[in-house]
Amino acid sequence: MTHRNFMIDVDKCTGCNLCVVACKDEHVDSSYPPWTKPQPEEKHFWIKVGALERGEIPRVRVNFLPTMCQHCEDAPCIIACPEGAIKTRGDGLVWIDGDLCTGCGDCQPACPYDVIYKNDDLNIAQKCTGCAHRLDNGENPRCVDVCPHEAITFDQIEEASGPLETLHPEYGAKPRVFWQGLPKPWITGSLLNIKTDEVIIGASVEVTDLKDGRKSETKSDEFGEFWVTGLKLNNDYSIKISRAGYKDFTATIFLDGDKDIGVIDLPNS
Amino acid sequence: MSENSSAKIVYVSHPGSGLARSNFPLECHVEDGKIIRSLPFYIPDDVRLYEINTTERGSFTRPRKEVQMPLAFAAKQRVHANTRVKFPLLRDGWTPENNNSAGRGSDSFSRISWDKAIDIIVGQLERIHDKYGSMEPVLVQADGHGQSGYLHSLHFWGHYLFDMLREKKGWGWWTQQVRNPDSWEGYYWGAKHVWGFDDTLGEPHQDAVWDDVLEHSEMVIFSGNDPEATGLGMSGSTALEMPKWLKKAGIKIVAIAPDLNHAAAAHADTWIPIKPNTDAALYLAVAFVWIHEETYDKEYIRTHTVGFNALKAHVQGNDDGIEKNPQWASEITGIPASVIKALAREWAAKRTSLSVYFGGPKIRGTLSHLAARMEAYVLAMQGFGAPGRQFLRTGAPSFYKKSLAQVPRYPDVDFHGLAFSPMIEYAIGHGPKSPVFIPRTLAAEAIQQRKIKWKSTTAALAKAEDQFTSYQYPASDDAPGIRMVWNENGSQPGSWGHGNNWLEALRNENLDFVVGIHPWLENDLTYSDLILPAQTNYEHEDLIVVQRSDIFAMFYQEQAIEPVGESKSDFEIHRVIGQRLGLDEAFPPPDDWLKASFEKTLASTRDNLSWDHFKKKKHVIYDCPTWEEWVEIKKQHGYSRHTGGLHWFWKNGEGLDTPSSKIEFVSERIDRLDPHSVERPPLAKWVAHSEQPHSKKAQTYPLTVMSNHPKYRFHVQGDDIPWIQELGKLKGPDQYFYEPCWIHPEDAAERNIGHGDIVMIHNNRGAILCGALITERIIPGAISIDHGAKIDLVRLDNQAVDRGGCINLIAPTVQEKYEKGSEIDIPEMNVSGFLAEIEKINHTRIQPSIGVNFDSLVKNSKPENIR
Repeated sequence: MTHRNFMIDVDKCTGCNLCVVACKDEHVDSSYPPWTKPQPEEKHFWIKVGALERGEIPRVRVNFLPTMCQHCEDAPCIIACPEGAIKTRGDGLVWIDGDLCTGCGDCQPACPYDVIYKNDDLNIAQKCTGCAHRLDNGENPRCVDVCPHEAITFDQIEEASGPLETLHPEYGAKPRVFWQGLPKPWITGSLLNIKTDEVIIGASVEVTDLKDGRKSETKSDEFGEFWVTGLKLNNDYSIKISRAGYKDFTATIFLDGDKDIGVIDLPNS
Repeated sequence: MSENSSAKIVYVSHPGSGLARSNFPLECHVEDGKIIRSLPFYIPDDVRLYEINTTERGSFTRPRKEVQMPLAFAAKQRVHANTRVKFPLLRDGWTPENNNSAGRGSDSFSRISWDKAIDIIVGQLERIHDKYGSMEPVLVQADGHGQSGYLHSLHFWGHYLFDMLREKKGWGWWTQQVRNPDSWEGYYWGAKHVWGFDDTLGEPHQDAVWDDVLEHSEMVIFSGNDPEATGLGMSGSTALEMPKWLKKAGIKIVAIAPDLNHAAAAHADTWIPIKPNTDAALYLAVAFVWIHEETYDKEYIRTHTVGFNALKAHVQGNDDGIEKNPQWASEITGIPASVIKALAREWAAKRTSLSVYFGGPKIRGTLSHLAARMEAYVLAMQGFGAPGRQFLRTGAPSFYKKSLAQVPRYPDVDFHGLAFSPMIEYAIGHGPKSPVFIPRTLAAEAIQQRKIKWKSTTAALAKAEDQFTSYQYPASDDAPGIRMVWNENGSQPGSWGHGNNWLEALRNENLDFVVGIHPWLENDLTYSDLILPAQTNYEHEDLIVVQRSDIFAMFYQEQAIEPVGESKSDFEIHRVIGQRLGLDEAFPPPDDWLKASFEKTLASTRDNLSWDHFKKKKHVIYDCPTWEEWVEIKKQHGYSRHTGGLHWFWKNGEGLDTPSSKIEFVSERIDRLDPHSVERPPLAKWVAHSEQPHSKKAQTYPLTVMSNHPKYRFHVQGDDIPWIQELGKLKGPDQYFYEPCWIHPEDAAERNIGHGDIVMIHNNRGAILCGALITERIIPGAISIDHGAKIDLVRLDNQAVDRGGCINLIAPTVQEKYEKGSEIDIPEMNVSGFLAEIEKINHTRIQPSIGVNFDSLVKNSKPENIR
């Protein structure tokens, strides 16, 4: 049997939240032994779509992050569970055995991704099972089934269209949900010649990583705006903006998040 | 399939779009009479999908998977919501002798039997007939969205019932509420006078428009366009797919709106934030740049338009001394002049189309007809209809055509493929059937005022001339006015203007009797005297007509579960009432009705599918033409391979529905019929009004409210489903789900408002409570609250406020602009772009309501207590 994993492409997710409702539709009031008992009516988000709002008006973007259990290889929840109720299936999916779980709650703070929920009625912990019951029937997980954009897929990672990452690898849990397009800091701004009150189009914007010397280049667009994306957090950069006929703009920036330089006046040279 | 093997699969139509049409149904799994789950529908492999082939940008099609809005997947909860009307209910304060009208909205209800309910209704109708000699005292509100079954869940049956009483029993006319063009307002009242399109509410035809845009366009402006919210709600997957085509084709998307709306957040390359309802000023400045730099299509202006010199003079300030330059517009719109210039230059240089779903926030505000006309002006200045310069509706509207669909579809499927309900004419028609009628925007005033006069039937498909015809209510001076309301919509206070006044009108002592027919206790339903329990689509069989999609289909909807309580379908409710009044023949058995409708379609006439076979097969999905077939079809209609939209007009220079048959900068019709109108002059101008930030009123209410169509509920529908609330609401410190109010950090800081705080939004029309959602996604000076939140009236100290956050309660009504008793020239709806102030509220000041649900409102529901 080929090994498959959840893969999430952030660039494709538009935040429709259909996966959230479909997951509830599948699990509320329905039991799929042994993988899970019913999800309660409310307050459980076995998948949730975080909306990460970035930037300042007018240069604002939103990244949507559909987040479920990351089905970690070194799952902290498994270690934290005193009852041995959290197990890994042969296919790598992590599941909580509702018959063994005593509802002690130790797994919840252990999970660095905050995706384990307490079912107060049944006094057990619950989370995404990867729709194990559907996979066993040859069907895709509900979130994958409903996603209109193929932002959430369940496939062999060799099939991915680009490089894959995991969420917060620094937690050391070795997640088995793989991501594309995870947000990386940007430097943005807009170029204006204040004297003429005209935006400056086609200026060359060069951002240099002061640690490794790598350069990222772009040009200001038809509205004078530029976006240099995919940069590294907590890193020093220099930026040089140049356009024939105008004075250069240079600066050094320590990037502790997205940076909008704002309106940059490029006087005539 | 161990878990699913015993499940029965039932197709169920859209939960909220209604009007006898649907998009693709969900596949509902039912087990032991219970809804287990709802899954996307996959169009089978043997159905041929279309493809749009471009020269250099690749091929475009749609996926086989069809989803609906989140609300549809919450069916399990919604069908059994605590607001379900399970039995006929009578208001405890009401008797035939004393209406105790003041108790509407606060009285409790008791369960009564169907027999008694029908006795009361028939008794009231007979009393009205005996006393007044006609049904004119009955205001019938039966034009709403609602569930999307073809027959059973339709909200038009009230009109049909009263029409049949007239036709078969000679009971005379009823007062027909005519639904105004609510989501198109500006195009209807304004753009029609520039370019016509009377049959599509003032928005240009969409024939094969995607072929043209995907081949030629270099930039598409999303003018408040939000296919991720409104589009998904109405058209399903199609609306989600189409913006992705633009991206794939490498077309730049520029979003112009006060908010970075859901589609802009997902798809836009550039966002140009604009103050609400100032689009007309932006367009004037864009025109200024083009005139100044001579970058408009002068030859097109000469051959395709009339009256351009008047616009040119106005733009240059020759008529009023004000140059409409980018600096001037910058003050009004909040857009830097440099950005306006950049936009204008880009628009002129690149082949640019403009996209809406319905029209966004700009199109439903005070004087939005001026913005819509101005939009048509600037499109004309760049040769509207030229390759890549189109007006684009994102989301496959199927009736927006001259002769061809928006995407490749066989014309005979378009015109004969689907069952068409003649009932639509009552609501989205060419004019009222009853000569005694009232526009929906004036329904409250018709109850409250002795006489009301206005122009236009406001009917969706009325000819533009109708906007200059005078009408009045009541039709005669000695008429009794409205004495009874027949409410099938349940949406007036949440979707139309000044909802607080509508609720007040329902408490008017002249109203002897208010009937509500609905599945859920919500909004104005609790202001009824008698409520009849309507079913959800899961509780009856029906035909599903898939017309709100790019692929046409029909499905047979089987009954999924037993009816909840003693509910009946909307059709059955009217049928049993009709039968008691001797109208048996007017209400044939539903299956006969459905069969007759089905047998008029191609599935029967061409493909020889019998009704009985169709019911077993459960669906008919029509193939799309191959690309080459489509190219042939287009050729027969005058289009080449990669032209579409208004290409025919670009080629011919005439043929529009305007008096000159050209694009009219100065409207010949307005000039002839209402030449001195300040509100809507023959040449559209920037007109300041009292709901703008520079008005006197703004000193008290400095913020401008904008209001979009909601993302998770459908207008007012489905707002109290917990799963939907969890997605769309903000939980307050008191654990109540508050409707979010978007506010910019600057405006919030000025008022000491933090994220998640409970805030009161108030103006001279009342106050609502929301949760503050502090965001960079809204322009400073504006706040955004989607329309249609479920009303929950409470007291804040001693003040009545709506904790539900229904912004329409405090939106303007058109009457405000006119002296009482004077004729209302343009009975427009203005529910976005109006003034308010916002302040932080401590939740301890709120005295909660007893809750708007069945258990809280119905005191006696046990069978032994049936009255």
